[in-house]
Amino acid sequence: MKQNTFYLLLGLIGLLEVGLFGISVLLKNPLIITAGFIMGIGLLYIARMTITDLKEDERSTMITQKAGFRTLEVFWVLFFAVSLGSAVIGFSTPLGLPHPKNMPPDFPRDEPHLGYFGIIQMILLCCIAFLYIGFRVYYARKYGEWDSDEE
Amino acid sequence: MKNKIKVYRAMHDMTQEALAQQIGVTRQTILAIEKGKYDPSLELAFKIATFFGVTIEEIFVYDEMKSP
Repeated sequence: MKQNTFYLLLGLIGLLEVGLFGISVLLKNPLIITAGFIMGIGLLYIARMTITDLKEDERSTMITQKAGFRTLEVFWVLFFAVSLGSAVIGFSTPLGLPHPKNMPPDFPRDEPHLGYFGIIQMILLCCIAFLYIGFRVYYARKYGEWDSDEE
Repeated sequence: MKNKIKVYRAMHDMTQEALAQQIGVTRQTILAIEKGKYDPSLELAFKIATFFGVTIEEIFVYDEMKSP
C-alpha cells in the first residue's frame, strides 16, 4: 500500500467513526462506538504495516520515540490530575444511596459525572495530540529534519 | 562527535542522496550526521565506515567537549 492510500484510508475510517459515534448516541449504546473504535484502530495498524514507500530510519525513529516519551511524561500528570479530581467528585456523592434530605445547594450531583469525565478525557486527548506534534517539531528541528545543504 | 563523511563523500564523488541510498537511510540523516546534529548508532557508523573501506576511527572522532 502507498503512503497516500493509507492517509485516504485514515480519513475514511475517521468519517466512519464519526458516523458510529452518532449512531451510538442515537441508540444510546456505548458498545457500538467502543467496539468500532478499537476495530478501526486495529485496521489502521494492520494497514500501516503494509505501507511500502515509508521513509524511515534510525534518526526518524528516534525523533518519534523522544516525542512520544516527552508527551507521555506530560500526559500522565495531566490525566492523573483530572482523574484525581473526578475521583474526589465521585467519592463526594452518595454513591447510589438515596439522596439525603436537606442537602446543601452546592452539594455535588451524582448523575452525569461519568459522561462529563469522558468529554474531559477527549479534550485532553486532543490537547495531547497538539503537544505530540509540538514535541515532534522540536526534535525534528533539533536533529536536522529541515536543514538544507549546499548540494 | 566530529566526522569526516563530507570529505570521504567528496573523495568518492558521491552526493548525500547516493550515500543515503547505499546505506539505507534518508538524505536528511546523512546531512544531520555531517552537521553534527545527530550521532549515528554504532551499526550505522560501521555501515558508513565499511562502505568507504576504512575504520570507524578514521571517519568519526569523539569530541569530549561536545558530548552530552
